[in-house]
Amino acid sequence: MGSVVVEQLTKNFSGVTVLQNINLDIKEGEFFALLGPSGCGKTTTMRCIAGFEKPSSGTIKIGDTNVNKLAPNQRNCGMVFQSYALFPHMNVFDNVAYSLNIKHLRKSNVFKKLGVYTRMLNSKIMKYPKDIEQKVMDILAYVELTDHAKKLTSELSGGQQQRVALARALVMEPDVLLMDEPLSNLDLKLRHTMRNTIRKIQQDLKITTIFVTHDQEEAMSMADRVAVMKDGEILQIGTPTDLYSNPKTPFIADFVGTSNIMPGTVLNRENGMTTIQIGNQQIKSTLATELQEVQVVIRPENINVLDEKEADYDNAFEGIIQVATYLGSTVRYDVKVGEHELVVDTTYESGDSILSTGASVKLSVSPERVLLI
Amino acid sequence: MNWLKQTFTGIGIVRLLVYAFFILFLILPLVSVFLVAFTNEPINLFGSLISLDTMQTTIEQFKNATLDNFKAIFSQGHYFDALKNSVYLAFMVSVIVLLICVPIAYGIARTKMPFKRTISALCTIPLVVPTFISAYAFIIMFGRAGWVTYIYQALGGEGLLIDPYSMTGIAIVQVFFFFPYALWPMVAAFKISDVSLEEASRNMGAKSWLTFITVTFPLAIPGMLSTALVIFSVSFSDFGTPIILAPTDLNLLVVEAYREIAGFFNWGGAAILTVIMIAVAAFVYWMQHAFFKGKNYDAVSGKPKQIKLNDNKALTISLSAFSGFVVLVPLLAMGTVFLQSIATTWGKDPLPNGYTLAHYKTIFTSSLGNIQNSLILAFGALVLSVIIATFVSYFVVRQNAASLDFMTTVPLIVPGIAFGIALIQTFNTAPLQLTGTAMILVIAYTIRRIPYMIRSTVGTMQSIKADIEEAAVNLGASSLTAAITVIGPLMLPGIAAGSILVFVTVIKETSVSILMAPAEWAPMSLAIFQNVLRAEYYSAAAMSIVLVVLVIVLQAIANRLTSKQSS
Repeated sequence: MGSVVVEQLTKNFSGVTVLQNINLDIKEGEFFALLGPSGCGKTTTMRCIAGFEKPSSGTIKIGDTNVNKLAPNQRNCGMVFQSYALFPHMNVFDNVAYSLNIKHLRKSNVFKKLGVYTRMLNSKIMKYPKDIEQKVMDILAYVELTDHAKKLTSELSGGQQQRVALARALVMEPDVLLMDEPLSNLDLKLRHTMRNTIRKIQQDLKITTIFVTHDQEEAMSMADRVAVMKDGEILQIGTPTDLYSNPKTPFIADFVGTSNIMPGTVLNRENGMTTIQIGNQQIKSTLATELQEVQVVIRPENINVLDEKEADYDNAFEGIIQVATYLGSTVRYDVKVGEHELVVDTTYESGDSILSTGASVKLSVSPERVLLI
Repeated sequence: MNWLKQTFTGIGIVRLLVYAFFILFLILPLVSVFLVAFTNEPINLFGSLISLDTMQTTIEQFKNATLDNFKAIFSQGHYFDALKNSVYLAFMVSVIVLLICVPIAYGIARTKMPFKRTISALCTIPLVVPTFISAYAFIIMFGRAGWVTYIYQALGGEGLLIDPYSMTGIAIVQVFFFFPYALWPMVAAFKISDVSLEEASRNMGAKSWLTFITVTFPLAIPGMLSTALVIFSVSFSDFGTPIILAPTDLNLLVVEAYREIAGFFNWGGAAILTVIMIAVAAFVYWMQHAFFKGKNYDAVSGKPKQIKLNDNKALTISLSAFSGFVVLVPLLAMGTVFLQSIATTWGKDPLPNGYTLAHYKTIFTSSLGNIQNSLILAFGALVLSVIIATFVSYFVVRQNAASLDFMTTVPLIVPGIAFGIALIQTFNTAPLQLTGTAMILVIAYTIRRIPYMIRSTVGTMQSIKADIEEAAVNLGASSLTAAITVIGPLMLPGIAAGSILVFVTVIKETSVSILMAPAEWAPMSLAIFQNVLRAEYYSAAAMSIVLVVLVIVLQAIANRLTSKQSS
């Protein structure tokens, strides 16, 4: 097991910079997600760590070892590929035993090497030694595939294939587990189950894991920390709650969860309260900022719909409902306020009435919930 | 240092070896043969790198280099005639093949002509018969004692219907045995060409024959010209037919080059003819690629469309009769060879005087060696090409080795006889004196046929996703181990199909065998050739039948393998 430290990693592909000054400090046993839209460089970052891409500059350390000069087959990073990349000509057992065979291959003399090669080409001719047999069956039991050991990988369902890929990577006892969009080929329901499975295995084994995904929900629900990437750069690293409540850029605010984002101008700061002009409205925030021009970010669930009776509030606005969408436990309103259209989420309990299109409402937001970026 | 370390990994060394193989046995011979055209003496480029004395001699040779041979092309009628005749022959053959193929292809693709399936099946026969056997079959049909001549004279004709030993004879054999190369692409073209355009034409009032002439046919023209060029180069490079049929007064490049080297040891003469041959072949190849790239029929994505088949009785019956005649000729030729192989004697009669299996007995006793030689040599070439092709396709697909990709297409262009001459003169002396050994024969076969193998393995390699290999490496395997345990097994079907193809073509191979095979390694094709020259027709016939049967069986296995793979 080991930590992963990436310093000043830059990667150019024929003149185009795809990664710029990537710095990561991933702790031992941490579940770390690289999150970003496609083409942001998250997969390239992972491939640099695995050794499939050579960094143009920068260093990568796994544990205390600088792995820059190490070939990918010497890095001991278990990787789960997006397509799983299971060997189609081998059965489940042979797939999982592959790395153990390789370890035997390294240790043995020429004759034994031939034996191992024979076994890798056809395990019926050459039997596995006890220790490999044991290890493979243990890990297969762990991912609940004992009954499928002799099946070809093509005979398995998507979820089972996924678990074979996971077992194959885990059996080599990697220092780091790398997962490249491992859930993207599964259907929605299976994806939720596999999230829990992967998270549980990671917790059990305390294995340092780097998880690449474009799905913010996936990253937020599984990872200890998340790095949000865009255009080859890291925008922010933090815990899921940190990212959600304190996004550092409008992009993150929008990418991680839903946000209402409006440009505004800071008017003044008095008594720990900042006043911002948005269009012809004013809004107050408890946050301090040094900027003059700011982006005001408000999460939909932090906007309250007020009853007519309720008295004056700080940050109260009049608006007109454009669309009301019923989502089960919540109702989402698109409300026109001035020149902006705000998304507002309200909890819904049975018996509540849903406001109709065209109705005018009064909205408020507490100054602590008004983020300034 | 870093560079060295990266190069000398397991797979890096293999890559160097593969490059070395092609440079030594393909590029170097072609370069030397070009130089010999100036020096008139075999030069030893490889030896020059090793020994100073050889270097000295080579430098002397270059000092004496002249342009005489190149001038001779134009002044001396000899070489120029050969070029003229060869181009004329190839041109005529491709034009006639086109004319023959248009009605047959139309019949197969667009009509309900009777016996369509049978005709299609028979069209594959010419492809499995080596041309020197078909040429020899024409001799026993149309020669002085042939049954065709007998019938012709019985009907009141005089002399021969067609003299097989003539330009006409050669052209006819090539036409009837090369037409399938053009037929299938043309069938595809007629099937694919846009039916809606034809309907539009008919909708505007054009009659169906007018539609064919104004729409269907013009659409197929670019493809037709491209196939004509294919036939041109096949005919131009063909050695089997002319070497058997060309009379002494008919100069053809391939025959002339063979005589210069095998008869007179005139290195300069053979070299200049080789250079001319390669230049013409390369020009044709270049034309085909420059003008018709992407215009080939198979480049059209074939959306299966319902084509209304023409069932006009008069048309389909006449098309069927014509196609039947064309496929019947090769069939009759092979039937004649078969009859000859079981005949006691066969004089100037329509049928043999009696039947016997004695010739086969002779073959399997006294000539068993030739069959063994063929099989051993073909197997040697198979093993060598499997190994090389597997690695080449790996380098081409995974490491984008463009220069390697180019090098391995060169053998497609170089005519066999030209390549043979280049090899003979390059490996004539120490340090690599290989001429006259089985080894150089195997290498020659391998290089000549490896493009087919590589095409097959590259296809399979491309279907294996890169991440499968990355997964193996990620699990700790070196590139070499990954190649052996993962990529190799996955490529097996492609390799198997390709290797049978290599095996078959090596057994059929004529030019290199006749030019380079030493007596103790004479393969079947050389034995048949010598028997024909000695007019020992009966054993030649029996051996030919054995060869063709072998080819058909192997081809059937290969077809089965490839169809399994694609399903």
